[in-house]
Amino acid sequence: MELTGEQQAVLDGSQGDYLAKCMRWLVEWGEVMGAKRLIKVDNTHALLPVPNLMAQGASKETMDRYMADLVEACSHGTHPGCTCTVHAAFVTLDEVDVPENDPEQVQMQKDLAVLAADAGFIPTFTCAPYLVGNVPLKDEILAWTESSAVVYANSILGARTTRHGTESAIAASLLGLVPEFGVLLDENRKGTLRIEVTAELEDPPDWGALGYFAGKAAGLGIPVFNGIRRPSQDEAKQLCAALATSGGVTMCHIAGVTPEAPTIDAAFQGDVPEDYLTFDAETLKETYESLRVRTGDEIDSVILGCPHASINELSKIAALLKGKKVAEGVRLWIDTARGTKGNADRMGYTEIIEAAGGRILCDTCPTNMRIPAKRIVTHGFKQAHYARGMVGAEVIIAKTEACIRAAVAGRWLGDG
Amino acid sequence: MAETIDIRGHGVVKGYAEGEALVADTTLSFWGEVDAITGKVIGVGHPLEGISLGGRVLVIRSTKGSSGTPMVLNLAQLEGNAPAAFVNVEVDGLAALGCIVNEIPMMTELERDPFELITTGDHVVVDADEGVLRVTRK
Repeated sequence: MELTGEQQAVLDGSQGDYLAKCMRWLVEWGEVMGAKRLIKVDNTHALLPVPNLMAQGASKETMDRYMADLVEACSHGTHPGCTCTVHAAFVTLDEVDVPENDPEQVQMQKDLAVLAADAGFIPTFTCAPYLVGNVPLKDEILAWTESSAVVYANSILGARTTRHGTESAIAASLLGLVPEFGVLLDENRKGTLRIEVTAELEDPPDWGALGYFAGKAAGLGIPVFNGIRRPSQDEAKQLCAALATSGGVTMCHIAGVTPEAPTIDAAFQGDVPEDYLTFDAETLKETYESLRVRTGDEIDSVILGCPHASINELSKIAALLKGKKVAEGVRLWIDTARGTKGNADRMGYTEIIEAAGGRILCDTCPTNMRIPAKRIVTHGFKQAHYARGMVGAEVIIAKTEACIRAAVAGRWLGDG
Repeated sequence: MAETIDIRGHGVVKGYAEGEALVADTTLSFWGEVDAITGKVIGVGHPLEGISLGGRVLVIRSTKGSSGTPMVLNLAQLEGNAPAAFVNVEVDGLAALGCIVNEIPMMTELERDPFELITTGDHVVVDADEGVLRVTRK
């Protein structure tokens, strides 16, 4: 990779050991991925989490060394002019009566949030930064963690980001640079798999099903959907999250809808394949069934807001819950960003949800927190997929209405 | 004497390591499918479910890149339970990043099919600097 004199100097230690290390990460990563140069980054979304139960059983030495790295990162200022937000954490910073929210680690996360804010990281603690003010423009260069947000930014917004991990996003935030490879380049934004959609997609989980199906088929490629209408923001969120769950997808196109796909021809940069997969009503049904793994109908958890709920979703959930009560022994948790909850408070949604026995959980999600659920109903394909391994729970994927009915009944009642 | 073969390939992330091979013609997500502390595969129904990756030369098709991959590798490395090396058919950028940060060698583009030539339990020397795998059959 060719570096400017200034970049080489940072690599050689002109700005200290830590920034030299950050530069080395970006340069070595760029070389591995075939980048020829580093380019300016406008916007980052970084992971700065204490590990909470993810590090259950870890030695004190491991925790100390892990935290020391994050503290070191936050002792340097973010690059001037670069907007930097923070990904969801593994704890909520609120005081909640949930044993999994380890008070010691909550305090560590709070201390880190103060350092991060001083450094210039906006402590959004969300997996959906595009819902709380980090809304990049078309062609803006980003360094985002969170695979679902990466797909959303590239596909729906037309911004450009490869999939980042903790260290690369921190390095990009501090240095204001990213290695130029993958979907940062026009030629790598070309569709690779054509999917004709004949199923009627009615609401967000249906779009999640489409994404879950397509992600598996596309692997590391770029699926192009043809024959569907413009999704709502919540539908697009589910599509992108599911694509990044079942596959290693970085972006997709929706012909006639997304910014770089005014036509199917444009989505494939003029090279539309004749072969295609079909997503029909039967495939839609089968995709739901693939994430309904249960040995009984009693449930203990209904988890909504994966990725983090929008204000519209909270409005819909409040309307469905109004005047009802969540069944005894069932936790109904809706995960969202603190900024969105602020709006929900003012709209009266929080009061309705809490009066019904539900909880709005900020900054994190139950899968990150590792709550000990046994059988979960959720409307997020991503949540359903990961909860099986990470929490060891049985899962039932369903539309929001069916999720709320299950929460009130305390058992899975079917799609209704 | 045990049979030893050399397989040439491309060292994606440089370095040298050796260990017992763990082979599966499959993909694996470090986020959600691997316990960061024990290094065990926890993905329900995954072909490697229940097996620890610690100190193993992990021969798989590719990792499924989640943003959490380097973080899981970092914790596993600190606990001594990260793989010794990666041998992948396809390179996922996030595993490559995790390997760079944690100084774990990674090889790809092997001149011969690793799934035919390497079996779980074989001893494998990964010399990613020279671009050679030395496999000693168990």
